[in-house]
Amino acid sequence: MSLNGSQTDFSKWSTRVPNAPPDDRPEAVRAEMEFGKLTSDKWMVAAKCDSKHPFKTPIADDPPYYVIIMTYLNYFFMILIGHIRDFFGMIFMPQYYKAMLPKDGYPPWYSSFESFYPRRLKGRMDDSFARPIHGVPGRYTYCFNRVSLDYNKSFLYDGTSTPCLNLSSYNYLGFAQSVGRCTDDSVDALKMRGTAAGGPCDVAGHSDLLRDTERILAEFLGKEDSLIFSMGYGTNAHLFTSLLNSKCLVISDSLNHSSTRFGIRLSGAAVKVFPHNNMVALEQIIRESISQGQAKSHRPWKKILICAEGLYSMEGEYCNLPALVHLKERYKLYLFVDEAHSIGALGKHGKGIAEYFNISPSKIDIMMGTLTKSFGAAGGYIAADQVIIDRLRLDITTNTYGETPPPVVLQQIQTSMRIIDGQLNGNEGRERLERITFNSRYLRLGLKRLGFIIYGNDDSPVVPMLLYTPAKMPAASRMFLKYGVAVVIVGYPATALISSRIRLCVSSALTKEDIDKILAISNLVGDKMCLKFGSGMAGGEKHPGDWKKGIRPRWSLEEVLAKTPEDCKKDIY
Amino acid sequence: METRTQETPQFFLTLASTLATVWYSFLDLFKSVPGGAWVLDYIRASHKNDPWRTLLEVLLALLAIRYFLASKYSQDENDKVTLNEREVDDLIDDWEPDPIVPPLRRDERWQLDSIPLIKGGISSHVTVEDPSTGNITTDVLSFACKDYLAMGTNETVKQNSIKEIRAAGVGACGPPNFYGTQDVHVRVCEDLARFLGAEEGIIYGQDFCTPTSVLPCFLKRGDIIIMDGGVNLALQKSALISRCDVEWFNHNDLDHLEEILESLKEDLSEGPLNRRFIVTEGLFENFGDSPDLKRLVEIKNHYKFRLVLDETNSVGTLGANGRGLPEVYGIPRDQIEITIGSMAQALGSSGGYCVGCHDMIYHQILSSNAYVFSASLPSYCAVAASTTIHLLEDSEKSGAVNPYIQPLVENSKYLHQSFRNSLVLKNFLIVRSADYSPVVHLRINPLLRKSLDLPEGYGGPGSVIIKAVKKGHEELYFDARYNTESYILQLIINKCVENKVLLTRTKRVLHHEILPVVPELILHCNSKFSKPELKRAVSVVEQAVTGVLRGLTKSKFAEYAADLEN
Repeated sequence: MSLNGSQTDFSKWSTRVPNAPPDDRPEAVRAEMEFGKLTSDKWMVAAKCDSKHPFKTPIADDPPYYVIIMTYLNYFFMILIGHIRDFFGMIFMPQYYKAMLPKDGYPPWYSSFESFYPRRLKGRMDDSFARPIHGVPGRYTYCFNRVSLDYNKSFLYDGTSTPCLNLSSYNYLGFAQSVGRCTDDSVDALKMRGTAAGGPCDVAGHSDLLRDTERILAEFLGKEDSLIFSMGYGTNAHLFTSLLNSKCLVISDSLNHSSTRFGIRLSGAAVKVFPHNNMVALEQIIRESISQGQAKSHRPWKKILICAEGLYSMEGEYCNLPALVHLKERYKLYLFVDEAHSIGALGKHGKGIAEYFNISPSKIDIMMGTLTKSFGAAGGYIAADQVIIDRLRLDITTNTYGETPPPVVLQQIQTSMRIIDGQLNGNEGRERLERITFNSRYLRLGLKRLGFIIYGNDDSPVVPMLLYTPAKMPAASRMFLKYGVAVVIVGYPATALISSRIRLCVSSALTKEDIDKILAISNLVGDKMCLKFGSGMAGGEKHPGDWKKGIRPRWSLEEVLAKTPEDCKKDIY
Repeated sequence: METRTQETPQFFLTLASTLATVWYSFLDLFKSVPGGAWVLDYIRASHKNDPWRTLLEVLLALLAIRYFLASKYSQDENDKVTLNEREVDDLIDDWEPDPIVPPLRRDERWQLDSIPLIKGGISSHVTVEDPSTGNITTDVLSFACKDYLAMGTNETVKQNSIKEIRAAGVGACGPPNFYGTQDVHVRVCEDLARFLGAEEGIIYGQDFCTPTSVLPCFLKRGDIIIMDGGVNLALQKSALISRCDVEWFNHNDLDHLEEILESLKEDLSEGPLNRRFIVTEGLFENFGDSPDLKRLVEIKNHYKFRLVLDETNSVGTLGANGRGLPEVYGIPRDQIEITIGSMAQALGSSGGYCVGCHDMIYHQILSSNAYVFSASLPSYCAVAASTTIHLLEDSEKSGAVNPYIQPLVENSKYLHQSFRNSLVLKNFLIVRSADYSPVVHLRINPLLRKSLDLPEGYGGPGSVIIKAVKKGHEELYFDARYNTESYILQLIINKCVENKVLLTRTKRVLHHEILPVVPELILHCNSKFSKPELKRAVSVVEQAVTGVLRGLTKSKFAEYAADLEN
């Protein structure tokens, strides 16, 4: 929140995050705030990919040189000032560095070097991270109003909150709801089965609810069987120790999620990294790895596993699944695809990346995904052939040592999946799927036409808007918040150093009018903060080929709003 | 010819004079740099004394530059075999990978079938379904459920959770740093910290992920941890992943711990001040006993180590008000630098947590993998855990055991004593856990095991399995004797289920474990059990154990093994 420091009396504000204020709005109003009603049948489109060119490499637009230079300068000064402050601070004001200095013969908790980035760079924009919310993270999310009077060391809350259009939650299909069939079923499950999961699945027992949900999930994905865990991160973190050993090789995409990398490290397998989505480099690595064998001993690898993600969450790009499957079959490798963001959100029936590319799920050896995102629940799953699942059920550590997903979560997964599949609530599933595709395409094309640099594939619900300069991250986040839109900003180390960005996560819960509003606000922010660097090479130009002539797309807002909703449904965009 | 010879020196002269000017101006410039004059003097002096040394130093400098410029992988490059395209293709065609996972063996199959199938909720009383026949047994006493205080089915907990679902839905749909922190998440962190007496708390989505994410935040190469030689798998893995130096002391043997610390003392006093931790559990998952915390705290304070205490099993079950092992010993929580625990057990919810001082928690918010890169816990789970804590706190009476915990304490004690004093079981089983533990660990009598030629423990340092893991021989992960012994325990469990008592056994996976494993029958106590129920359970277990273990000889053991293969 921006503040008018002098006039406001902060003595009544508290450092404690407030409780959710009582909510006595009628159910219909709340439902509308969580999931906006479809305003017209026009605003839906089925996701499909061009069967002739299944994978279109998304074009990453480049900003002008001065932007890159400014970005590096920005970092240079921040790092320089940070180090100067640390150097003198530790000498003259050690009381602020207690955690980083040894005390009474005890070493510090963490070193100043280790924490330099979070303290000196991220600390400056801490108000844009971890904003506490309350209520359903649906179409709107309720952000508590807060100010910081000590440069983000602490925050003061007045107990009120502001509803913001939500482009920050992974609520792709809008199942984060407090009303409706899903929630009713979940509440029933809680009444019947309680809150606790009761211990590891192999020990405390395999409940009928878990069994049914695993079966429904496996059917949904087109696999023989599946396992469900209570945490998506934990699924990856503890999967690979059951698949791999030190004589195995993992060839991993450079942008794979931290949980996958953690899991692979824990397994002790050798790792080679291929540049993001670069299939030529991948094939080269594969050929070399098989022919050279293990390092030093040159014995053949026991297994080689390729790890990729269905939809890369920071880039909004798909993996090149057709090429991956081809390589896997040509070289007898195993393929692991993490569908954390793509399951539910991609494909005509929401069945993820394999359906989108029209590839049989049997070509992917291990399908992993999370249930937190599209299904509005929590946890992760692994789906594979019966032989694999039978082994993993006994072997995977989460099943034998961890906890099972609690009943409510399982029920939420089950009901939402059946809705998506059309087994419940008639056309609701189809509506959700077609709305997210429309919303994603509309927002992406609209932003490109306005002149922003946007990454990612057209149908992907993750829309990264590039900011470059790190100083623009908090500024953009605050400004969007001021206009009532909650956005996530991401910078180094989650992205490359210079490509700081806003990540917009589109949801079916948003209406076309919401997207109009977001485009208008983005236009305002973009003009004010100088964010429109798009050259048109990645799309958005008025006439095809404009960008080669040096004409850059800078449509007016009116033009964008008038033409884009219809245009975005066409295949050429 | 002559003219030419005159011209060339002219050209060289110009060149030489220019070079000289450049050289001298460079020297002047170098002198004007602070300290430059000193460096020049040094070079001049050293050259005068020993011209060869200059050459040597120049070579050294070149070597250093080459070293820094050389690629990190140059060694691998040298290691490579040169192959032409055809040879590469041949090798690729020849290559046959192992299956992605070894398929279940015939004699392992029973393990899959022995996972109890539960109809309905998992609590102290369950309905069990027979997987092969589909027969349903109702009202089975479940000693397999870890919801010790039956909070998962508590009405208040349920009501509050429903209220939260009606207000905020099920999933949190975002990581805590990106709009995934709801008011109730903040509340449960405060509640946990207050309940346990710590400054601050942080929650994780799953208990099993918590240690493997917390410890690596504070441990890097060169740091040191001393671990109890009986810790659970999550702690073993967290030591492995953080790449620090690990020393093991014998399970609960504090003398051994002191010995190790004494032997390390000299090394530690000299080197840089690295981070040092002692890691142990409040109530051991694998043994059902606890360390002498009072002495442990004295030791760690004396040697200036920090203490990591995994209270997964002990919070909510030990201490008059369920505040864990420190409450038993009357030690303030600030003496334990890092406390890790689970909300999925006695707190009747799901997820894990860590409590401790502000600096420690703050660092996790920024650098703990499972916190930063994972979605928040569903909000209703946070509410369920908070409600449990409030229930425990509100019913607190000074000088008395909390009424929520009282039945659990009594039941645990009763169960232990019944098994310990049972004359029928004496020859067959020993009780490994301590009387205060809510988890009863029963092992086959060591004398009986010896007569069957069974090892003291399976796996562990130096065993075939550890070597197989190192070498990647997946077919050697299987231990036939471990399999058969577990099968015999399963026969006991099956017999008990027929009589409406569900217990469980060690289901640890040998190739994941670094430490040796002994198969056990395990009973998780519950505050909901009544005395007659417990009495019945004990007699059912007695009958089943005698039925299966009486007359168990080497030949009978071999018969079981043969049975499994058919």
